[in-house]
Amino acid sequence: MIPVNIVTGFLGSGKTTLLREVLGRPEYADTAVIVNEFGEIGLDHFLLEEVEEGILLLQSGCICCTIRSDLQETIRSLQKRAGDGLIPKFRRLIIETTGIADPAPIVSTISSDPLISKHFYLANIVCTVDGLSGASSLASAPEAFKQAAVADRILVTKSDLTEIDILVKIEKTLRHLNPTASIQRSSGAEFDTKHLFSQDVFVSNAEAEDVLTKLDRHLKGSASIQDPLKILHDISSFSLEFPGSIDWIAFGVWLTATLHVHGENILRVKGILNTRESAEPVFINGVQHTMHPPIHMDRWPNGERTSRIIFITRGIKKDIVQRSLHAFLSAADKEYRQNELADLTTFRT
Amino acid sequence: MCGLCGLLGIDHWTETSANAEVFSGDIERSIRHERAHRVLLLNKALAPVRMKARDFQASSYIISSSTGRSEIVHDIQALWLAVEKMGSKPVDPLSAEYLDQLSKGQP
Repeated sequence: MIPVNIVTGFLGSGKTTLLREVLGRPEYADTAVIVNEFGEIGLDHFLLEEVEEGILLLQSGCICCTIRSDLQETIRSLQKRAGDGLIPKFRRLIIETTGIADPAPIVSTISSDPLISKHFYLANIVCTVDGLSGASSLASAPEAFKQAAVADRILVTKSDLTEIDILVKIEKTLRHLNPTASIQRSSGAEFDTKHLFSQDVFVSNAEAEDVLTKLDRHLKGSASIQDPLKILHDISSFSLEFPGSIDWIAFGVWLTATLHVHGENILRVKGILNTRESAEPVFINGVQHTMHPPIHMDRWPNGERTSRIIFITRGIKKDIVQRSLHAFLSAADKEYRQNELADLTTFRT
Repeated sequence: MCGLCGLLGIDHWTETSANAEVFSGDIERSIRHERAHRVLLLNKALAPVRMKARDFQASSYIISSSTGRSEIVHDIQALWLAVEKMGSKPVDPLSAEYLDQLSKGQP
């Protein structure tokens, strides 16, 4: 299986600089890159061409639902050509989005296309945020805000050109927006490429533990703090806790129905579940309509067997999500108790 | 159902059989038991929109409306879309009205 990293970030936030730096390192020599040409001049293409061969340009301007088939075709073609020996075999794929693209459809393409999902999996979503102008982009452009909301890794760029108090402020906003994402600073070259790219979010136990630590910090600390930018874009980041074990089947019924209607406004779901069907914790992770296969964690961190889920939503408040999930889980609990009673009765007779 | 999904045997993320390494706890359900339990919960969720679901050979679900229309779907994600395609209003778990009907256990 080939890991796929999505590099997103608003216009001019440093995506290409990041890619140039990463692709120049020997450990990323066998990486294929798909860039998206936006506008008449494929500037990104020219910048990257010297670094990495095998860059493919999508024909349409933006990676979104309308051209998702382009991305499908491009990934399939890339893999076929590598298989046929026409281009070198690659062990990682990076997709760079345009500055105003929504990364969610790309996630969906990788996960839902039957042929692609057999050979590729989403490793993580990296978002660059301009240290200098990021605050104004986040305030004025919903696209920039959403890119940061769905990211697993956020790189605040141009840190050498930005005053420290501005950096601290933008990092605080990003932490309120996306509490479980890792945030780093970069002045162009100094950043941890391994953490940004090689550490896979959707398959790693260590990553699940890291997310959980951040989730707990969010539950205990800044959960109630509201950031002005979040209010401006009607974004909520909230966590739910459920003591005792929950019914995985009921949870799946609830989440699939909820995502079907509200997936566009449920930007991220991450959490750890204490399910009846598993003695160990189950880690879940999703981006809008796309949920990834659950991960089996080795042990319960801190021994606390409590289900904890974090949601980043747009226009959806905590109280209705809590009421709704509780209703579905209660219905399953009722069935469970009735079945237990029936089993007992059978045993006694 | 998508023929390609059936051909490639792609299981939905909610199916514990698709993630066997994750669900290895004390309460291991058989595939039949798991699907029967899911159908029971689906029917509770579908009652407010007057629809019903049943298992089809442990591989698909059949959803049917009160007028007798029915459709076969591969997984529960496709089921919610089918509910809408069959002319019903969507099952919206975040609607207060829907939750009120769900708690009463009737439309």
